[in-house]
Amino acid sequence: MKEALSLVQRLSAHPDSRCWFVSWSPSGTLLASCGGDRAVRIWAREGDSWVCKSVLQDGHQRTVRKVAWSPCGNYLASASFDATTCIWKKKNDSFESLTVLEGHENEVKCVAWAPSGNLLATCSRDKSVWVWEVDEEDEYECVTVVNSHTQDVKHVVWHPNQELLASASYDNNICIYKEEDDDWECRATLQGHTSTVWSLCFDATGERLASCSDDRTVKIWKEDPSESGQGDLSWKCVCTLSGYHGRTVYDVAWCRLTAALATACGDDAVRVFKEDETSDPTQPVFSLAAQVPKAHSQDVNCVSWNPKEAGLLASCSDDGDIAIWRFQEVE
Amino acid sequence: MASHFSGVLQLTDLDDFITPSQECVKPVKVERKQGKSVAKIQIEDDGSYVQVSLDGGKQTLEKAKITLNDCLACSGCITSAESVLITQQSHEELFKVIRHNKVNPCQHQKIVVVSVSPQSRASLAAHFDLSSSEAGKRLTSFFKNLGVHHVFDTGFSRTFSLLESQREFVERFQRREQDKKALPMLTSACPGWICYAEKTHGDYILPYISTTRSPQQMMGSLVKGYFAEQQGLSPQQIYHVAVMPCFDKKLEASRSDFYMNDAETREVDCVITSGEVQKMLQEENVSLKDLEPSAPDTLFSSVCGDEFLSHAGSGSGGYLHHVFTYAAKQLFGEEVKELTYKTLRNKDFQEVILEKDGVVQLSFASTYGFRNIQNLVQKLKRGKSPYHFVEVMACPSGCLNGGGQVKPSDGQNPKELLHKVEELYKAERPLLPEDDSRVADLYQSWLHSVGEERAKELLHTQYHTVEKMTNGLTMKW
Repeated sequence: MKEALSLVQRLSAHPDSRCWFVSWSPSGTLLASCGGDRAVRIWAREGDSWVCKSVLQDGHQRTVRKVAWSPCGNYLASASFDATTCIWKKKNDSFESLTVLEGHENEVKCVAWAPSGNLLATCSRDKSVWVWEVDEEDEYECVTVVNSHTQDVKHVVWHPNQELLASASYDNNICIYKEEDDDWECRATLQGHTSTVWSLCFDATGERLASCSDDRTVKIWKEDPSESGQGDLSWKCVCTLSGYHGRTVYDVAWCRLTAALATACGDDAVRVFKEDETSDPTQPVFSLAAQVPKAHSQDVNCVSWNPKEAGLLASCSDDGDIAIWRFQEVE
Repeated sequence: MASHFSGVLQLTDLDDFITPSQECVKPVKVERKQGKSVAKIQIEDDGSYVQVSLDGGKQTLEKAKITLNDCLACSGCITSAESVLITQQSHEELFKVIRHNKVNPCQHQKIVVVSVSPQSRASLAAHFDLSSSEAGKRLTSFFKNLGVHHVFDTGFSRTFSLLESQREFVERFQRREQDKKALPMLTSACPGWICYAEKTHGDYILPYISTTRSPQQMMGSLVKGYFAEQQGLSPQQIYHVAVMPCFDKKLEASRSDFYMNDAETREVDCVITSGEVQKMLQEENVSLKDLEPSAPDTLFSSVCGDEFLSHAGSGSGGYLHHVFTYAAKQLFGEEVKELTYKTLRNKDFQEVILEKDGVVQLSFASTYGFRNIQNLVQKLKRGKSPYHFVEVMACPSGCLNGGGQVKPSDGQNPKELLHKVEELYKAERPLLPEDDSRVADLYQSWLHSVGEERAKELLHTQYHTVEKMTNGLTMKW
């Protein structure tokens, strides 16, 4: 029994520019993309193909680096190099700009919504991680500003079922934050990567965290409750995937439905790894299940699994394209 | 480089890839002199640069210097300013002046004045297990033993800051209809907040900021103005050191607004932190516990007998408390005995309301720490701030938790230490600013005599938008 990635469709999403990030709506019916052309595009399936349904322009002055859907699917947040984060509200089939979150000193690198939908995290080249709270009137207030990294913060991601936030940085570290005494504090610093950590992803249960790095490895981290204490948390690296990636690994995505782990790499390839079912959970073994060496003509920036349709994977690249793949068993 | 500045400033304008020595992008103006264009530059044995012209004549060349003032006027960075500060404003500088005094004849000596903040007194008191007043008296001994001539208390100059804030608020409140930027009045005692506002929010926020000088700079006026004149000294003959809970106060002392152009001297020459005083004590092998207490220098100290006095309200100067009670009385005839602080989003965001027949008359808040400052600034920008007055401090928990306070010793819980410092600070008996007869006398004898305009300069200051630099080196790629 073998598995493979087959191309479903290629979309010229941000022509003559880079496509930085793609994100599936919680229902899996919409795909948002963003790029160097300062625009956000919304894609949906029409018959057998994916088409652009709307373009969100004029929200940002510079590159839009990341987009994130709220858990209810009614809001979209976009993080931009213009130092702001835009919140868009879905109205029927279009989106209107609701508010602009200002405060970061320079480029906002990532935005992520907590599972509750009440909290939003952003991070920036200014080295800080911010948490914002949303009230019923769609007003956003800053809850905290944490300066635990010593360099550019590349990515933030929330734990799937606890109020726990993780961030990845150019300082090679991963930080995990928790609210304590009405403020957020860094409770664990995960050291192990030897270069920039570009992205993070929790598994479906939140027991494990995958990270990918400029050091060309992917690491799997697991909480070690025996060493967590006094409010501090301890996360240990239980697996390192090395030797597979020819260049920087820019993104990692853990499928919530199938537990397959996809990576986006600077060597233009998209890869999918699967955990050996027989391996010890405390020392898991992952093996390469499928790869497309020339998935794109340039660096692959992002991979994202559809949350409802198992095996449907979107990737995007510096070549400006989105590619949609199906990961499945082949004869 | 790890920065000691408040979080607000650490966040401002940092560049990832440029090391501090390369970081400075301030253009230096070169004076070009007309003349022959061919000349050699030679480095002498002492390291100085001389220009050798064709005829063999030598001329010493000036070095290009980047001063702290250049740093403050530049939006390029903040971290490199720190290395400048370390050389210009450190306890080493104070030691240097004291040593200079010991080896030089009287007429070349400087009169050394040290003004200690009540927050620093409390921090050192907690470290040495003393009461705040006791720590103040022993610090007086320590400095005088070193060769310092006068040790004052910025609690005294804070009385001026509080009185001026009260009057400024009432004046702003009365013109709020005509002037949209009269309210809310935002306090100005925190230099981290001021620097952040100037660099990041410029024209929009600055008009809201109170022009009243901070206690440190009020003391600057008192020492280099009134005191110098009384003693028949030129301001330059006085070396004025402030002991503060905060590194950002060094930036404040270096502002060009507080440089006396005619006398060519700063009102406060050097700021050292509570932690640096602790370092001095260590270097001198002295514990405050073993020192004999001295009577406070009563000229500029807020004392009753030989006990230091403080002010009611927050550990950050009590601005909200004093302005609120004064405004309630002056504007609405209400005698407020006790203020009710309502904690909002977090402990560093509180509000105090004056209601009359269900109508809100006064709405005051205190916002400490960067996150709360952010929300305040964003609300102001959207026209959604409901407040008349806000006490703004950059540090979470305010000045008693300032970045310059003595660090917890090994194994000491930072929160417990802060609690102890707060208790010691509050244990000093509060003085009502309007009850200080010596301050009232100074208003009469000194400020009245200099004329209204000069008095305003001595008690108030101004703020300046820092333009963002847009040259190649500071571009954010």
